[in-house]
Amino acid sequence: MTEELRVSVDRRGANGAIMYTKGYINNVGGEEIATRAYELMDDGVRTLLLNLRETKIVNSIGISILIEIIEKMIDKGGRIAFCCLTPVIHKTFQIMGLANYAAIFTDDDAAVKELAL
Amino acid sequence: MTASPELQMELTLPMVPDIEIAAARAAGNLARELGMASESIDEMAHAMIEACINAREHSGSKDNRIYVKITGTSLGEGNSRIDIWITDHGKGFNVTEARSRRQSLGAVHKRGWGLQIIEAHMDEVSITTSADGTTIHMVKYGKNDD
Repeated sequence: MTEELRVSVDRRGANGAIMYTKGYINNVGGEEIATRAYELMDDGVRTLLLNLRETKIVNSIGISILIEIIEKMIDKGGRIAFCCLTPVIHKTFQIMGLANYAAIFTDDDAAVKELAL
Repeated sequence: MTASPELQMELTLPMVPDIEIAAARAAGNLARELGMASESIDEMAHAMIEACINAREHSGSKDNRIYVKITGTSLGEGNSRIDIWITDHGKGFNVTEARSRRQSLGAVHKRGWGLQIIEAHMDEVSITTSADGTTIHMVKYGKNDD
């Protein structure tokens, strides 16, 4: 049984990007997001929005990988934000402290406007 | 008076990647049969996922199996209760130590958050653990969807 995560990226200018996820963010999904995020950082992206509209399930291992991505982006002077979370994923992010280090927006329009993407 | 469970399901699952999804879907289907609200089902699913991952990743189980029992009970007036037992035949763990972990950026321990997530998403949680294995009993109460 596998629950493959799909990731797509929309570059926004030289320094920005929106990453869309679809599926389960577990260890494998988290690593897929990390690989794409680090590629974007190496390419100059310093503002990254993760749109989780089509992700309904996460686990603590996947979130721990997201936290590592946030740490690396902060080290580079950038920022990561999330949008379109289910209420339960939002609550899980808060439990694990992720919400303390990354902005969370209810919808993508508000996120894009606030982050100037 | 205690209502007796109307629905019951027992599963024996192999410890393979993503098997937690099968357990969560089974519980979700049973809860939907009772009419439980979708957000409550979603919380229960995330708790089950963490419980199964803990069993798979940390139990050191000799038989490589996760034993799942789920019961569902209507409580009347649009309320329902789901009981879930997740059992492994592993080596047990220190509950106090597991509960004491806290997250911070740059922390050494980014992993090991399963128990906190389970307790936050469920209404009642009890753990029986010894050198012969662990059972986590979780309860979710829910209002039914309108």
